[in-house]
This record gives sequence, structure tokens and C-alpha cells, in this order.
Amino acid sequence: MEDIKAYIESGILELYVLGDVTPDERLQVEAMALKHPAIKAELDAIERSMELYAKENEIEPSENLRHRVLGSILTNFGDDNNFPQKAAPRKTNVVTLPPRKESNFYKYAFAACLALLIASGVALMSVYSRLQQSNNQIITLQLQNQHFTNRVNLLDSELSIFRDPSFKLLKLQGTPKNPALAVTVAFSQALKKVLIDMKNVNLPQNDKDHQYQLWALVGGKPVDLGVFDAPADSAQMKEMKSIARADAFAVTLEPKGGSINPTMDQMVVLGKF
Amino acid sequence: MSKKHKISLTEEQLVLSLRNHEKVAIEALYDMYSASLFGVISRIVIDTTIAEDVLQETFVKIWHSFSSYSTEKGRLFTWMINIARNLAIDKIRSKDFKNQNKNQEIENNVTSIDEQNSTVYKPELMGVKDLVQTLKPEQKSIIDLVYFKGYTHVEAADELGIPLGTIKTRLRMGIQQLRKHFN
Repeated sequence: MEDIKAYIESGILELYVLGDVTPDERLQVEAMALKHPAIKAELDAIERSMELYAKENEIEPSENLRHRVLGSILTNFGDDNNFPQKAAPRKTNVVTLPPRKESNFYKYAFAACLALLIASGVALMSVYSRLQQSNNQIITLQLQNQHFTNRVNLLDSELSIFRDPSFKLLKLQGTPKNPALAVTVAFSQALKKVLIDMKNVNLPQNDKDHQYQLWALVGGKPVDLGVFDAPADSAQMKEMKSIARADAFAVTLEPKGGSINPTMDQMVVLGKF
Repeated sequence: MSKKHKISLTEEQLVLSLRNHEKVAIEALYDMYSASLFGVISRIVIDTTIAEDVLQETFVKIWHSFSSYSTEKGRLFTWMINIARNLAIDKIRSKDFKNQNKNQEIENNVTSIDEQNSTVYKPELMGVKDLVQTLKPEQKSIIDLVYFKGYTHVEAADELGIPLGTIKTRLRMGIQQLRKHFN
């Protein structure tokens, strides 16, 4: 106890507070203060007094210095390098906002639209090709229909010839040179019509420089009734030039386009009423 | 010397928040202690601009080396005033500071040398009126030399031409007077 009192009265505590001690003395005073509450209390009393004395002698620094000093410290406030240890987590009133929910609706809607567009395109192409097929079929059917209509009309008209009592059928026989040859001609004096039944033309094939020519003999004179080819390109009744009267019919082989007068030695068939 | 303490905490709160590096801590620290520390710095560094620089350095150092302070070593202010005093003394002993003084006008030198080396009683450094009656001038001059100007008691004895034993006695008696005064 005496030691403590002597230590206090030595004046070392005052020098400690005034900052006038060596580092060794400093450590010694701090150790003593830790060990002895009386010394600690004495030290505290001196410190408080000197603190108040300093306050009595305070000098207010200029107003803008506060801003400067705090600024220089707080500028790097968030810089961890300034801190020897990590700062404790600080409670703040900052509320973390939930991240904005990115809606995928438009993304999916766009993708759906695109898929729909492609599907529509494919469907359209398929429908279009089937439409084309159908159109082709219709055209084919129409052509067939036309064909049959023509045929029916033709047969009708052919039939009407055979039914018409004014028509006379005349079979032209082959000349003695070619007795097997034959051509059938229908003639109506009333209608002034001459037709060759191309189906029953039995003549050798003419070359491309020659054509067969039909003649009517009227009072011994030959009258041109037109040219035709053998074999015929269609099995029809071919209508020739009209004539009112005829005693006989004959066919000669003539140069292409026909002649004005028949070449008699080229007569292939002949028939008389 | 108006007291404009915007933020004030108890010493325990202040130490805790300084340890946690809270922004409010440094603001409170400045508001509570800047004038006291500036009073010390201004008695060592006469030039106000340089004194303000030293005050800034003091707070930066307090902030960054706060982990080396512990309440077992004593009161916070004792620790801080040591930092302020040492930085101020370092400043006037630095080459820059001495060069700067060389460039000063002769007329200014008269007062500045006088101010820097003066140990005479300065009325503007006196506190409230009754403190004058409390503290004898010879006690006050020694306390001020050591506490505010950073002299050792040996240097003070040389400066004042007073024996070392007397210096120590006057220091202790003066502080005893202050304790009585503030209690």
C-alpha cells in the first residue's frame, strides 16, 4: 500500500498524462494501472482534469475544416485497404429491391408467332400444290370432255349423213392397175355436198410432194373438188368442195396442192352412178 | 470559442463506433475534440493554415490507427492529444517547415520567433477567469510547456532555468490544483 502511495506521489502519473514519459515508463505505468485499481483511479482523475484543462484552452478551427477533414477520411470510406480489420456489418435502412422480373411473355409470344407463320407457310404451299393438281385435273377433264363432245358431235353429224335420204354412198373402185384400192364418197345432190369417208380410204401413202385429188365428172368434164392425204390424219367424214351435179367421181395422184386438170394416168379409183 | 458540437456521444459509445469504423464515429470525434486538439496544435504550429493541415493529419491518423488504442491504456483524449502533439512537433521540425520559415518576411520573423520560443505568460491562452486564480503563473507556464508545447520536463527546466526537482513539484502541484478546480 505504501508502495502504491509512493508511486502515485512520485509524479510519474502526471508525466504519463502529459506525454512526458519514455516508452518503457509508459508500459510500466499501464501495467501498474492494470494491477492496482487505486493507481488506475488516480490516473483517470489526472486524465479527466487535463482533458478539461485542454478544453478550457481549446481553439475552434475554421468552419470549413470540418468538411475537409471528414471528407478526406470518408472519401476512402469504402476502401477496405484503409481498415486493418474488416468492418463489422452495418445495419442500414436500405431495403434490397427484388430484381426486376424480366417477363418472358413477349419472347415466347414472338417465338409462337414465328412458328405459326412457318407452319402457315408450309400449309399454304401444300394447299397451293394440291390446288394446282386439281386445276390440272380439271383442265384434263375439260379437254377430255371437249374431245368427247367433239367426237359425239362428229359421230352425230356422220350419222346424220347416213340417215339423210338425200345422201348417196358411192364406192370408188380401183383402176385395173390397182384393183384393190377403194374410196367411199357420200354425195347429196339436194345439199350440194360431197364428203369422203376417210375411214374407208384404201390408198397407198402419198409422199410429201404429192396429194390425192378428188374430181367430179360432169358431162364428161372433170371438176376439181379438192385435195386430201392418205392415210388420213383423222377418221372423219371430210367435206370437199360443193357441187350440184355429178355423173362420176375419180381420184388422181397430183403434185402437192392439186392440179387444174387431172393427170389421167395417175387415176387410182373411179366410180359411176 | 463557441461550442458547436453537432454530435456528441459518451466515450464508450464513441470508442465502440470507432472500432466498427462507423461514419458517425469520426463525425462525433471531430465535433467533440477538434477544438481541444486544435488548441494544442495551434500552440506548437503558429501558422493557422499549417496547424489546420496538422489537425487533418491527426484525425486521419486517429482513424487509421485506432486499432492500436485500448481503453486499458487510459482515456481516449490522452491517446489522441499525444498523436496531435507528436504530429505538430514533427511538423515544425520537418525540413519543409524550416525552409518555409526562412522565406518569411523579416517583420514577421520577429513575432513568429517570439511566439515559437516564448515561454512568457500569454493572456489569450488563459482559460476562464477563475482558473487564473486557481493556477499560479509559474505552475501554468510549466504545464503549458509540457502539455501543450511538447517539452519534456528536462527541457522545461533548461528553458526556464529552474531545477528539475522544482519543475516536477510545480507540475504535480499545478495538476492537483486543476483537479480540485474541476471537481
